[in-house]
Amino acid sequence: MNTADLAMSRFEHTTARWGRATMGAVLMVSLAAPLILLAVGDFDITFSQLLTAYLAVAAVYLVLAMVEPITYFPILGQAAMYQAFMIGNIANKLLPAAIVAQNRLDVRPGSRKGDLVAVMAICGAAVVHIVSLLLFVGVLGTWLLSVVPEPVIEIAQLYILPAILGAVVVQAVVTVRQARSTGFALVMSLLVILVLVPLAPAIGPFGIALAVLLTVLASWFFRGPSGPQEEDGDADGDRPVVPGAAASAESGEHRPPRS
Amino acid sequence: MSTASSNDIWAVAQSPWLWVCALVVFAVIGVQSWIYIRAARAAGEDVGISRRDLNRAFRSGAAASVGPSLAVVLVAIALLTLFGTPAVLMRIGLVGSAATETASATIAASSMGADLGGPAWTQEVFVVAFFAMCVSGGAWMLFTLIFTPILKRGSRRIARVNPRAMAIIPGSALLAAFMALTITELPKSAIHVIAVLVSGASMAAMMWLARRFDLGWLKEWALGLAIIIALAVIYVVHHGHLG
Repeated sequence: MNTADLAMSRFEHTTARWGRATMGAVLMVSLAAPLILLAVGDFDITFSQLLTAYLAVAAVYLVLAMVEPITYFPILGQAAMYQAFMIGNIANKLLPAAIVAQNRLDVRPGSRKGDLVAVMAICGAAVVHIVSLLLFVGVLGTWLLSVVPEPVIEIAQLYILPAILGAVVVQAVVTVRQARSTGFALVMSLLVILVLVPLAPAIGPFGIALAVLLTVLASWFFRGPSGPQEEDGDADGDRPVVPGAAASAESGEHRPPRS
Repeated sequence: MSTASSNDIWAVAQSPWLWVCALVVFAVIGVQSWIYIRAARAAGEDVGISRRDLNRAFRSGAAASVGPSLAVVLVAIALLTLFGTPAVLMRIGLVGSAATETASATIAASSMGADLGGPAWTQEVFVVAFFAMCVSGGAWMLFTLIFTPILKRGSRRIARVNPRAMAIIPGSALLAAFMALTITELPKSAIHVIAVLVSGASMAAMMWLARRFDLGWLKEWALGLAIIIALAVIYVVHHGHLG
């Protein structure tokens, strides 16, 4: 095991242990909050009312809660999983931040440098997230609500997601630099979202996951004779350019195959 | 205070207990970031990425999230009257989004025959809805805690069997996720299409400028600028339509 392997496995170990601990703590607190309200307040609420309400919500969201962590794992990697699924706002805030930073520093998603850069970027996004919510919602929220014109809030509510996603897709294509994968992603996403989901609405909650799965499979099976190197160039600067040497060296370069 | 069928949601929703919970959650997120930054810095040198580049990554991530964060703030304050401040902080600040949480609350309230913010939106309905939102949001964390170690073992095995997979899978998964998310927005309305196109075109133009003239700062701020340009165009289109 070389120094880079060792450093990376220490990083994985620390972030996994503390990631689990912090996420566990937040899970406890967020479950305790409504229970405390129930305990200290004088409410006429039955257990069956709570259960009915939860089951109604779970009917819509439980599948998504199960599918999303699996969908995003290959993108985020172990360490960032514990950040992303605690903070939320993954597609509209955290992943865009990671892509911007990877693009800025010219490193590839999934490489070691890419992982470290993504984690740092998500930390930066987390700090902005916390500060902006505490300041503008926690402290100034009620005042802001009285001064921000309603149309502005309405526009933000309706169109913020497409306004973020259009830019992020472009940046993702430039950052990832896999021409084949880009083509497959476009075709599979169009197929799943505009054809399969309308035909079989039951697919709905699995739409994104299905597009990801089909794209990954297609990109893998049709990866071309010498893999992504030939079409990508060398993003991290430390990868071998000789295709023959690439495969063996990359077992060390990417998330190392050992604990 | 104990008239639980009262519509005075804030009497319950601004409970100091909830404030404590919200602040603890934010503190834990802060602690997690601090631990992660230290771990990344400790690994950085040996992996071949300098402290300066890691700091730049942090700054890029922070800059890139300013635009989305302000948008989230705008949506969050619109929910204040319904849920009170700490509940909004906890639900928007944690896994979940304004859309998910509003939908969850609506579903939970309707299971008690109430509308969000309607005449039957009482303290009791609020507490039940808040309970359902918290447990539902917790499911994402629970499944993350369960699945991540399993998926990690799986990806190690794939990397061992064929190392090149790890050069292809993360990138193609990222592209597919964002293409699919974006395409999901398109059929919603013509304005959604305009939003995607304007935002994408602005980003393409800024990326070209950043590369052509070697403007590092533009790479960091391009996302925020693209969002503002897209929303400004939409504002004109949206309100131009209405007269």
